[in-house]
Amino acid sequence: MTWVAWRLQRTETLVALLVLALVAVLLVPTGISMANAYHHDGIGSCLSSNPGFACSNKIGAFQSQYQTLNFITNWFTLLPGVLGVLLAAPFILDLEHGTYRLAWTQSITRRRWLLIKLGLAVLAVIAANEALSLLISWWRAPLTQITGRLDSGTYDTTGTVAIGYGLFALGLALALGALWRRSAVSLTVGFVGYFAVRIIDEYWLRGKLVSPLHAVWHGTQVPGYLSSASILSQTVTVNGRVVESNSSSGGVLGAHSQLAAPGSGQHAVFHATYQPASFFWTLQIRETLLFTAVGAAMLLFAAWWTYRRAV
Amino acid sequence: MSDFCVVRTRGLGKRYGAAWALRDCTLEIPSGTVTALVGSNGAGKTTLLHLITGLGRPTDGSVEVLGRSPRDEAQNVLQDVGFVAQDHPLYRNLSIAETLDLGRRLNPHWDGEYARERVSRLGLDPGHRVGKLSGGQQAQIALTLALAKRPQLLVLDEPVASLDPLARREFLSGVLEAVAEAGVTVILSSHIVSELERVCDHLITLAAGHTQLEGSIEELLACHRILIGPRADAASVARVHNVIRESHTERQTTLLVRANGHVYDTCWQQHEVDLEELVLAYMGYDPGTPLAAAPLEPVAR
Repeated sequence: MTWVAWRLQRTETLVALLVLALVAVLLVPTGISMANAYHHDGIGSCLSSNPGFACSNKIGAFQSQYQTLNFITNWFTLLPGVLGVLLAAPFILDLEHGTYRLAWTQSITRRRWLLIKLGLAVLAVIAANEALSLLISWWRAPLTQITGRLDSGTYDTTGTVAIGYGLFALGLALALGALWRRSAVSLTVGFVGYFAVRIIDEYWLRGKLVSPLHAVWHGTQVPGYLSSASILSQTVTVNGRVVESNSSSGGVLGAHSQLAAPGSGQHAVFHATYQPASFFWTLQIRETLLFTAVGAAMLLFAAWWTYRRAV
Repeated sequence: MSDFCVVRTRGLGKRYGAAWALRDCTLEIPSGTVTALVGSNGAGKTTLLHLITGLGRPTDGSVEVLGRSPRDEAQNVLQDVGFVAQDHPLYRNLSIAETLDLGRRLNPHWDGEYARERVSRLGLDPGHRVGKLSGGQQAQIALTLALAKRPQLLVLDEPVASLDPLARREFLSGVLEAVAEAGVTVILSSHIVSELERVCDHLITLAAGHTQLEGSIEELLACHRILIGPRADAASVARVHNVIRESHTERQTTLLVRANGHVYDTCWQQHEVDLEELVLAYMGYDPGTPLAAAPLEPVAR
């Protein structure tokens, strides 16, 4: 039975491997050159001796050199969705083509069939996303030194969250497929749904997963620990009045604000809510568990619906 | 063959939402018979076959296959039931050899020798992809998969509907061979009646979810008559016999009746019925009471 389920998932697994291979072809050579450049430019040694924003010239040059690649790899956060949706295909195709009737009238029960078929898809999604995460973590290592692990480009593609994202996309596509029994539309809507949920996750949910910390400082000198933190919101007050506020997760306001200029900055007080780099694993684990749980619930729904309703 | 019934249903019903696809269906299929399940589209044929193969769960009543419930005791029943679903679904991107391998891995009594031999008799290359085969060849592969399980019961849902006449003939010959070789009991549904007479010895007709006729084809044909006579006398015939279909011209009336005993009235010309006429008559017939329940004696010819 396991062999049969594997054989019926082989094409999709090979496509997943092809996706990983293409990513590797892009990342392995550029990753090696980036690591060399990072070493040559002496950014690592500069950062270790000067915390905060002191190495910004060197960093700026390094970052602009790898800007395009960095931009491309930020989009790799969509790949867990692609992999998850892709590996839902064998199950939905079985329903669409009526071949589940062939499978369920061999000498095995449908319970066993569902267990092995869905179990294999789950394993493939976990393995593919883990491989992807490891590859991107290695590639991003120099950039992570600069931006910190909470930078969304790093956070989304390293650690464990990609597995959660992949399982969520798998569960969503399976649930839609169980209801609609149409693979093309289920996979497309599943992927769009994944994208929408990820945007909500990025701009709203993640800030709620762990209650943020508050920082207050005076003058132009932004505390060094904020350079690797995720800033959720900032306000600037002068004599107790709010003069500027910013709720985006963009750069640190004080660094660019005209209020930070010498003279006017004297009376300005800066407030920020932020998640420090040390929250990385707490955030990762909570987010992974949340996405995995929702994905698993949708997968179980798909299995239950098919078990009860399919004839 | 023994009197043992391979399939037995009692008051079997299946409802989808508010609509009953099958209702109050009681029937028995004796071992060793080849039964044609006939009815118009939507009469409940597929639903009945899905209940027999355990794909569906009855809403009402019960179904037993080889003495067990096919849904609740699937692990004991499935290995003895071969099923070819409507449009003979197969995994299109597997080769023939891989399809047979699937059968070997999923069935405990798999007869690989028989399967390979049957494929080579069909003149097919095992390396061929199933999706590239013709409809008739795919149907044959699906039949091979069902037969190599070495089932006691073979269930075929509209197996020949999508096939051209030659492929249809070849498919049914394959079924007949299996019956002759292994004595397998067969139920096959169809709305094409012309080919069935050669293959089947039992008949069940379904209409609007109910069984109408059930029994041996020979006996059913023997107890039905076509009567042609004067128009005025039709009512007197209907008092004694069940009129299934009547048609009138200006001078004469043609009746298809289920005869309760002899037709003595000499003003009626009597003819035998063939299977196609019989089935067509019942497709257009709406009985007040189900006829299958009434005890009937065959008419002496």
